[in-house]
Amino acid sequence: MNWNAFLEFVRGPLFQVSLLVFVAGMLYRLVRVLMLGWSRDNVPSKGSKGGGVVKSFLKSILIWPFIPWVKRTFSKNPVIYLAGGLFHLALLVVLILGTAHMLVWKSLLGFGWATLPLPMVDWMAAVGIAAMVALLIHRLVNPVMRLISGPSEWANWTLVFLPMVSGYMLTHHMFFRYEVLFSIHMLVVDILLIWIPLSRISHFIFYFFARTIHGVEFGKRAVNP
Amino acid sequence: MPEETVHQYLQKQGVSRRDFLKICGALVGALGLTRMPPFDESGLPGNLKHTSVKPIDMVRHALETKPRLPVIWLEFQDCAGCSEALTRSHSPTLVNLVLNSITVEYHETLSAAAGFQVEEAKQAAMKKYAGQYILVVEGSIPEGDGYCTIGGKSALDLLKEAAAGAAAIIATGNCASFGGIPKARPNPTNAKGVWEIITDKPIVNIPGCPAIPEAFTGTLANFLIFGSLPELDGLRRPKTFYGNTIHDRCLRRPFYEAGKFAESFDDEGARQGWCLYKLGCKGPTTYNACATIKWDAGLSFPVQSGHPCLGCSEPNFWDGGGFYQGQSAPLNRPAVTVVGAAAAAGIVAGAAMGAANQSQKKSAARKSKKQKDA
Repeated sequence: MNWNAFLEFVRGPLFQVSLLVFVAGMLYRLVRVLMLGWSRDNVPSKGSKGGGVVKSFLKSILIWPFIPWVKRTFSKNPVIYLAGGLFHLALLVVLILGTAHMLVWKSLLGFGWATLPLPMVDWMAAVGIAAMVALLIHRLVNPVMRLISGPSEWANWTLVFLPMVSGYMLTHHMFFRYEVLFSIHMLVVDILLIWIPLSRISHFIFYFFARTIHGVEFGKRAVNP
Repeated sequence: MPEETVHQYLQKQGVSRRDFLKICGALVGALGLTRMPPFDESGLPGNLKHTSVKPIDMVRHALETKPRLPVIWLEFQDCAGCSEALTRSHSPTLVNLVLNSITVEYHETLSAAAGFQVEEAKQAAMKKYAGQYILVVEGSIPEGDGYCTIGGKSALDLLKEAAAGAAAIIATGNCASFGGIPKARPNPTNAKGVWEIITDKPIVNIPGCPAIPEAFTGTLANFLIFGSLPELDGLRRPKTFYGNTIHDRCLRRPFYEAGKFAESFDDEGARQGWCLYKLGCKGPTTYNACATIKWDAGLSFPVQSGHPCLGCSEPNFWDGGGFYQGQSAPLNRPAVTVVGAAAAAGIVAGAAMGAANQSQKKSAARKSKKQKDA
């Protein structure tokens, strides 16, 4: 098999198709969510719904992730708190501040930005991979997590883990030839792009909708029948 | 009278025995003969089979006993760059030796004769050396009608005619190997590489733009000495010269590992000789010997001179994304209209499903209200 030809396919036509499916799928989901509309207020609210939303965002973005004792997030479940948090941080750093990924954004958006030195991104990638492994073990060991894990949860984990690990091996030229790892990396990313709109990985958008709805509910000062 | 051997020819040219042995040693080095190739193909006397034969003895024996190798060199859709690179090569030992050890019976660019005479000479050579000559092809072959004819014959016919009597075919340059620039989209001439057309002959690809002269002559020398082709990879490239990527042997590799990249062609990074990955270097996926053999007698090669590798020894390099676009970027981005259409499709589908959902909800609510009222 000629890996360079395969690489050409997964970097070219397949990536484009995946990207289009991703865009169409996410917009479909977005429109569906927006068209659900607000729940009807049967009783006039005395509180400020807007204030509730602002508070909700401040808490969930600035306070809860970084100050563990506010909601005792760390003591309740240290694995989820540490591994989950570090995984998300690593993902953001690698995808946005990694040079190779910035070049992808640049080719799609038309502009680029300054990136972190490779060794720093590299360490974050290693941290992200370790966090993913910890989360998998937690999911396998914890009885509650096992109960709520179905096929799509395992697919989520696999499809996020494979690009991370193949990307790491690619940068370090481990075990396989560069174009082989590059092909595998791109293939899994293409599959992931199609999978995201179908799965709960789409929370990277809908998380903010959830926070908004919660904020509105918390901002209400009324008796809801 | 038996044919003149390579050694006899060299003696006539004034090469001393001492120089001859030096040349043999240089050949061993250039071919990377660290271990013995298969004995049966070597042409050595059978009584040496179980004794320890050094590679240099094998080379010496071959040059002393074998006649010069006849070569017919065809050019199709090419720029003669591979011929130019070969004739202007600055590594005298290897290239000169090999060029002295072969007789180029026909070469469109180098032949002094022209017209019908030279075509007749080619026919005579093909007859005389039938089954023995090496056919070198430079340039891609158009399968479309009416492109690239020589003496009234199409390139396709010329190739088939010459390939029929060839012992082996060497496709030099990316064009003859994989179609090269003539094959770039939209490929108006329906250009093809030799191995896509000729399937019943041993073929070696020496891709590159141009092919590295040492890689070409090394392969030729291999055939001259052992009577067989060197070990090839999946794309029929000799592993000796195409075993590693440019990236693997790059002098800027430490900067890649350290994450130090030139951002433009005239910034401080470029002046410091940092890695050219961000400027579009295709070194990581390009298999060739540029970084080790280099060009102009080991003077430099593109990456050393500050230009990213274009990947010219790989198939379809011309269509492999922008030359100055980092390799991690997708090959091409979808057109804005296509993205817009996909987005519109998603929105419309979402709106339709949402509306259907809402009307279903409303009718259900009406029904339950009716039931309550009744």
